[in-house]
Amino acid sequence: MNAVVECPSLTPSAHGWQAELHLGFRRRGDRSVLAERRHVGPLVVQRALYPEGGEVCHAIVVHPPAGIVGGDSLTLNVDVGAGAHALLTTPGAGKWYRSEGRAGRLSQRIAVAEGGVCEWLPQESIVYEGAVGELLTEVELAGDACFIGSEMSCFGRTGSGERFGRGTLALATRIRRDGKSLWLERGRVEGGGSLMDSPVGLGGHPVVGTLLAASPRVDGELLAACRGIAPAVGEGAVTLLPGLLVARYLGPGCEPGRIWFNRLWAVLRPALAGRPLAIPRIWNT
Amino acid sequence: MSEAAPAAAVLAPAALGQLQLVRLLQLASPALPVGAYTYSQGLEWAVECGAVRDEADAGRWIGDLLSHGAGRFEAPLLARLVQAWAVGEDAEVARLNDDFVCSRETSELRAETLQMGYSLVRLLTELDAFAGLPGWRERLRGIDSPAFPTAWAAAAAAWNIDAGAALAAYLWAWLENQVMAAVKAVPLGQSAGQRLLAGLGARLPELAAAALALPEAEWSNFTPGLAIASSRHETQYTRLFRS
Repeated sequence: MNAVVECPSLTPSAHGWQAELHLGFRRRGDRSVLAERRHVGPLVVQRALYPEGGEVCHAIVVHPPAGIVGGDSLTLNVDVGAGAHALLTTPGAGKWYRSEGRAGRLSQRIAVAEGGVCEWLPQESIVYEGAVGELLTEVELAGDACFIGSEMSCFGRTGSGERFGRGTLALATRIRRDGKSLWLERGRVEGGGSLMDSPVGLGGHPVVGTLLAASPRVDGELLAACRGIAPAVGEGAVTLLPGLLVARYLGPGCEPGRIWFNRLWAVLRPALAGRPLAIPRIWNT
Repeated sequence: MSEAAPAAAVLAPAALGQLQLVRLLQLASPALPVGAYTYSQGLEWAVECGAVRDEADAGRWIGDLLSHGAGRFEAPLLARLVQAWAVGEDAEVARLNDDFVCSRETSELRAETLQMGYSLVRLLTELDAFAGLPGWRERLRGIDSPAFPTAWAAAAAAWNIDAGAALAAYLWAWLENQVMAAVKAVPLGQSAGQRLLAGLGARLPELAAAALALPEAEWSNFTPGLAIASSRHETQYTRLFRS
């Protein structure tokens, strides 16, 4: 972490914003505290929040430029210690802005120690036409650690009728438990490319979302409960891999996907993290 | 690896000898007793939900998987596996095998590759044809939860087949299985099936060449429509296929 201090980052350089945020959550008694918080550049958490009491620490990860442009490189490191429980979200929709050619990059690394829980539930990302981005997510779990994470991307500003006719979003996600990979997904959505309309790809839908719940406790009963819930609009499906439950969404907008994910989360959270649903207040603003 | 690696890891496809051609035909044959014909990889759900209704739809579904799924992840991975087996990089084989298994995005797709991999490893370790190749049985048995392409690549490497030729044959076997699933599930006539095989088969040399050259950072298994179809197939009420 110390090395990145050398990076001049109070203003965006010719190479774009270089920002890095490190968050360390620790269990202290029966509380989860934000024990480490270091940042370089515009990626911050203002304070720890406790809307559901001391056991769960909520944090809102703020990126003041509110979007990523070509050349930006953002790194988020989250370290959840043994027995700690952290919930992280973002204050609004993220944006991948149009690029003149260079890629913007968002790298997310999440480590959760034995007995820890990390819920990484950023709000959706809008991928502007012409954006060039890379989204890398690496999750390292130890022992019986639990991770619940979601990603939702909307290709094109559908509100103004924009289609994602040009640009690229590259995705790579890996989840490991005790060093062994549970999940690997690599992809590349090309603006105007055939994956967007293909029935095996996005099927003409602008919005794609993935909800992942990694825990030794996921089982057929939980899968059945999740399968009993369907999105009101769009297509959704749930499957169960060893130690990992996966829900997929394709649809015309983020709202129905988010509502469906929240309904699934309401089932997953009590089963995997022993707590009732606690919708972050910022989602309602 | 203690054994010497089989020679000639990389041959030009043109140099494929007649014995190697025969070996490839055996490996790519639907008669290979691994149960491939019992799997549709989500295609049966695509038919059920109306996404695939006719020959043209089936051609698009299968062709798009070649472009975006099997052709961009399984294919380049298979080529790397053949090379890794051939030069004795067993740690690399294990890494690629683990990556393939955890890249299977649904319960059925994962179960499919593990069942076929298990069946093929059993077959290969019992075949006398492998007895003359020192160390292969132990190397195959050393893989934890072998996936189908891992076991298949071992056979191709043991029989001295180069990665490019192996890849074309592997993709052909995959394609033939998908088209036969469409013939049964849509259903389509046998002529329609042969038309699809001829049309999609013509793309295989280019796909195999692209997969051979594709850097690992650009491998892609992101096909959310397939993931949803395969997940939905897991609860499909009436079905012929196991995936």
